[in-house]
Amino acid sequence: MAMIRNHLSTIIISILTAAMGVIAAIAFGKMHHPEVLYPSASLTSKGMLSDYFDGITGTNGDTEVYLYDSGVAGGTALLCGGTHANEAASFLSTVVILENLRVTCGRVIIIPRLNNSAFTCSDPMEGFPSSYEIPTKNGTRVFRLGSRVTNPLDQWPDPLVFAQYPSNQQLSGFETRNINRAYPGRPDGTLTEKVAYAIIQIIKKENVNIAFDLHESSPEVPIVNVIVYNEKYEDIAMNAVLGLEMAGLQFSPETSPKNFHGLSHREWGDYTNAIPFLMETSNPSMGRLRGETNVDLVLRGDCDNYKKAKETGALRIAYREETGEPIEHRVGRHIMGFIELINSYNYYYPEMQIVVENLPDYDMIMENGVGEYLKN
Amino acid sequence: MSIELIIFICMLATFALSIFLLKMPAGVSLMLAAVVGALTGGQGIPARHLVEGGFGFLEAILIISTAMIFMRVMQETGALAGVSRGILKLFYRQPTLLIIVITVFVMFPGMLTGLSSTCILTTGALIAPILINIGMQRLAVGALIAMAAVFGEVAPPISIPVMIIGGGVDMPYIGFGLPLLLVSMPPALITALYFRYRYLRDYNVVKVKQYLDSTEDEKYGLKLYLPIVFVILYMIGEIRFHEYVPHLGVPLIFILGTLLGLLTRKGVRLIDVSRKALSSAMPVMAILVGVGMFLQILALTGVRGYLAVTALGLPEGIRYLAAGLMPFMGSAYGSASIIGVPLVYVFIGKSTLVVTAVLVLMAALGDLMPPPALICAYSAQIIEEKNHFKILKTCLIPIAISMTIGILILVFAQEISNLIL
Repeated sequence: MAMIRNHLSTIIISILTAAMGVIAAIAFGKMHHPEVLYPSASLTSKGMLSDYFDGITGTNGDTEVYLYDSGVAGGTALLCGGTHANEAASFLSTVVILENLRVTCGRVIIIPRLNNSAFTCSDPMEGFPSSYEIPTKNGTRVFRLGSRVTNPLDQWPDPLVFAQYPSNQQLSGFETRNINRAYPGRPDGTLTEKVAYAIIQIIKKENVNIAFDLHESSPEVPIVNVIVYNEKYEDIAMNAVLGLEMAGLQFSPETSPKNFHGLSHREWGDYTNAIPFLMETSNPSMGRLRGETNVDLVLRGDCDNYKKAKETGALRIAYREETGEPIEHRVGRHIMGFIELINSYNYYYPEMQIVVENLPDYDMIMENGVGEYLKN
Repeated sequence: MSIELIIFICMLATFALSIFLLKMPAGVSLMLAAVVGALTGGQGIPARHLVEGGFGFLEAILIISTAMIFMRVMQETGALAGVSRGILKLFYRQPTLLIIVITVFVMFPGMLTGLSSTCILTTGALIAPILINIGMQRLAVGALIAMAAVFGEVAPPISIPVMIIGGGVDMPYIGFGLPLLLVSMPPALITALYFRYRYLRDYNVVKVKQYLDSTEDEKYGLKLYLPIVFVILYMIGEIRFHEYVPHLGVPLIFILGTLLGLLTRKGVRLIDVSRKALSSAMPVMAILVGVGMFLQILALTGVRGYLAVTALGLPEGIRYLAAGLMPFMGSAYGSASIIGVPLVYVFIGKSTLVVTAVLVLMAALGDLMPPPALICAYSAQIIEEKNHFKILKTCLIPIAISMTIGILILVFAQEISNLIL
């Protein structure tokens, strides 16, 4: 008894710690259950990324690949979401396209969770919610909000300094788990490098002509509301930017920096024949200046802090004071960007057409909400 | 008053009350502050967020624990003693140079681990008797070691406060070598000179020679130094020659160094050494867990954003004052995370690398300050002084000099960056 009394505080703290650990473990465990997706009737086959590089078979890096083949000869598009699993509109835009797409010429390949491992964890000290809900016609769909980088349970420890392969460009150790610094990847590298290598393989083996990587960014970051393009394909980007402007959407065209390696818009263009584009929307829930971090901020994108920060004039901030940056706006921009870039590509490559239909445009999504275009 | 400010005040008040009234350790106080912040912010007790935040510095905790074991083993094998005797033998004829070299030597473990207390407990503990024996006042010895430990925490290649600030503003830990040297070495040099000319006026070469002769130790051989050489070379190799050197990670490098150390001399018991090392590192590791939770709740409740936006709106003069207040936050890691992160935004327009380096110097000086005054407390143990605030008092002038240097570098951060980067 005396011993128990002496160690009472230790016992109480241990029990509390264990209880907290169990509650947290249950919450983190839920992140390992992928959300069910409902591809449109046009889907012709579903495979795994490991079909293209078996080095990731059985790992958390392996991810679903959806193929929509019109059966009509044409080009092939690759659409990737979830490069950074904390960028909600990136994943959600891909899901909306996946669940509504009709292809009448050529093929479209969709990888909604490009860094699948990153969906199984969140970023410490950021306070992000682990999931968010979208109301649909038939109920509510729950989607996970993951991390920017591969789960450390799948790849650890990080080096002090990450030397990007093969450029040898040096970045902080943390970036070793960022798949958008890992291209072209390598078959015997880290998990992240292997997944990057698998993406390069799918682009090569499926003769992908045009490829999309969807992202979101903090409003205070300079590269936001942009289409980033490899310098070889400036005409297609500019033509699409004009088309988007006609639809009332402003996108800044940005050339992929030649000396910043490992990014999709740089390496997909340099290591394959695909024409790569990366799009960024402005997401206040990712910004450092954000207020309370919650699902409401992720979905409504309305944040007083950004209004105030913009008023100080100290920073260039991509934030609309009147409306905020709601998920409908962000998903709508991504889908319109996808459509316009495909149209522009078709203009320059009429012999390798890709025709996509049945996708909601920006106005439809703004009017009806994202949930209207999600099945179930 | 905004809700974020109320939450922040509640968190700081809880932290202060916990330390002063409840006499709780700093780490536990930070955890309590995080819980109170979450409750005030209407989040209940968010177990997932608290646990997630607590793991935010797992890597740093592993580095600290393995590095502490390694340094203890080096102490037990006699390698560190050998190095310190070697320094004395080499430089005893030139006392000014000797004090400078000793200062850098004490800084060394902190440079490798990013942890100031490592310096006190290892190289500091070894060098203290030597300094006392060559005639330096006891309190001055404690103060010099404490100051050197702070500069060691700031100096490259590993600076955890930079990583903490970098983690808060999405800034990679790259390109900090020169800026960190700039903010750590000049103050370290001036501090060394200050202690040399104020507290070692009566230096007597003959007496020191006699001391060296009387304490001639057994010869261990060069193999004792193999683990230190291995750890340094492997870390450099991993960064510079990553194509050929397999990536192990810093904790594993220290573990291998420790095992190598055990092979160099018989009789060193790993269990005992590990227990001692982890026991001394525990308060700091607890602070890191607490800081992680604190930061998570700051982000969750919007206090972090509120502080950053408020800082953005400050007039320029007050911004420098805010930087000058950083040492008074009571711990380097706490100060770096709470004030350092928004201050980086405040000084946007100046070189972020140089600004961050200065903020880290300011934050690191916080390790000397109450309420925890952890470094002064460790240092007081080494020199057997009961009142660790006497150490702090002896440090006041070097602290003021260091802060002045820091503010000057901050004011001219962009110009300095143009020159050195």
